[in-house]
Amino acid sequence: MTTHEPVSAPGALPAGLRGRVLAASWQARAPGRPWPEPAEISAVEAFRRAADTLDRLLGTLGDGDWAAPALRDLDVQGLVGHLIGVEEHLQRCLSGDPEVAGTDHVGATQPAAARQAGLPAGETRADWRRAVNRTLGLVRGRAGAAFPAELALHGMRLPLDALLVVRAFELWTHENDIRLAAGLPLAVPDSSSLRLMTALAAPALPVGAARTGLAAPVSVHLVLTGPGGGTWDVLLGSVGRDPAPVRIVTDTVGFCRLVANRAGPGDLDMDITGDPAKVGGVLAAAAALALD
Amino acid sequence: MGGPDALLAARLAAGDDLALAEIFDRLAPAVYGAALHVLGDSAAAQDVVQDVFVDLWSHPARYDPEAGALRTYLTILARHRAVDLVRSELRRLARQERHCRLAPGSAHPSPGEEVAAAEAASVVRDAVQLLPGEQRRVVELAYFHGLTCREVAAAAGIPEGTVKSRLRLARVKLETMLDRQLLESS
Repeated sequence: MTTHEPVSAPGALPAGLRGRVLAASWQARAPGRPWPEPAEISAVEAFRRAADTLDRLLGTLGDGDWAAPALRDLDVQGLVGHLIGVEEHLQRCLSGDPEVAGTDHVGATQPAAARQAGLPAGETRADWRRAVNRTLGLVRGRAGAAFPAELALHGMRLPLDALLVVRAFELWTHENDIRLAAGLPLAVPDSSSLRLMTALAAPALPVGAARTGLAAPVSVHLVLTGPGGGTWDVLLGSVGRDPAPVRIVTDTVGFCRLVANRAGPGDLDMDITGDPAKVGGVLAAAAALALD
Repeated sequence: MGGPDALLAARLAAGDDLALAEIFDRLAPAVYGAALHVLGDSAAAQDVVQDVFVDLWSHPARYDPEAGALRTYLTILARHRAVDLVRSELRRLARQERHCRLAPGSAHPSPGEEVAAAEAASVVRDAVQLLPGEQRRVVELAYFHGLTCREVAAAAGIPEGTVKSRLRLARVKLETMLDRQLLESS
């Protein structure tokens, strides 16, 4: 991690040139958007891609891999069972069942995870795939407008598209949990899916800040580099003005792993400007967005 | 995160507006100076500065940190854009000259255009002196004395086709020399 002092004032140039040049630049390309801009995909498509990728991985696993410890007290098979449980809850949510609104993401899906114990791995994989297909069928079978503006699931209240991006995020995260358990290299989503994930996670930092109890206003200029990244100015903590904003520059995948609580701030290659304590507050807020 | 320029390049690609502002504050004086050195005109040099920074922001991948420093990239880009402006001005003047010969008294350049023309001509005058004698002669007759190709042929005692081929070769050499001189003068 490196830190910088603010840059010095501009040198002697004709009056007005700086403003004119920057305005022309913003007109040519809006600030905040990555270059090259990834192809735009829908949230459903991101979810489908994440599911397909995980499905392909599951198809390559041997019996020993399915029994390998993966997350918490779950082996790989139990973790896939957890995902079956999440799909079942999401389907209940989509069907208007209010009981899943406030249930705990981990605790409420534990029975589904436990159900997989002793089953053939192929059966677990097939059950999960069927559950994913049911979700896709529900979402595709009804226009987005047919669902409430916000859906409530596992303590989250989000529009359908955002909820599906969260699900894609979760599938990618657990795919990597399984890869680690099986001794395989970690995977990275395509840039279009990553862009949806960062566009959801970065503006959600205030939600994480509320969970960590961040009090004072902290303004952060967040720059996520690499495919699927972008730039955001976000105010965290209480409403007000932060006289000394901080800047964090880090790579997109590392930030997403932090948001998934699969990497710590110390694991990130970062360039920061500003108060390190404030930066720490922002990073803690990012990690607090994780579901499990 | 790599070196300072690699970091800036990554920030530009991520759409970091503050990165462009930082680069402008740090390097715009050098970019402006490079353009002004070629053009000798503040307004034209400012246009070049705008072109250079808009290009950097719109196409950040064109700058490769592995290939050199950002400062070098931007100042060279500024010189190339400035030379392009000079060439464009020379072409415009040549067209105007031809038009004047065909329709005498129809064009009345403004004082600003006359100043720009004089500045543009001074940039290439030294380069013309470096041409081989036979090429320099036809260039001077055609461009500085305003003769047509036929008139140049008669004055130099050579076929008209030879005049055209020498002018073509001279233009290519002038462009090359102009680039080299401008780069070496930085």
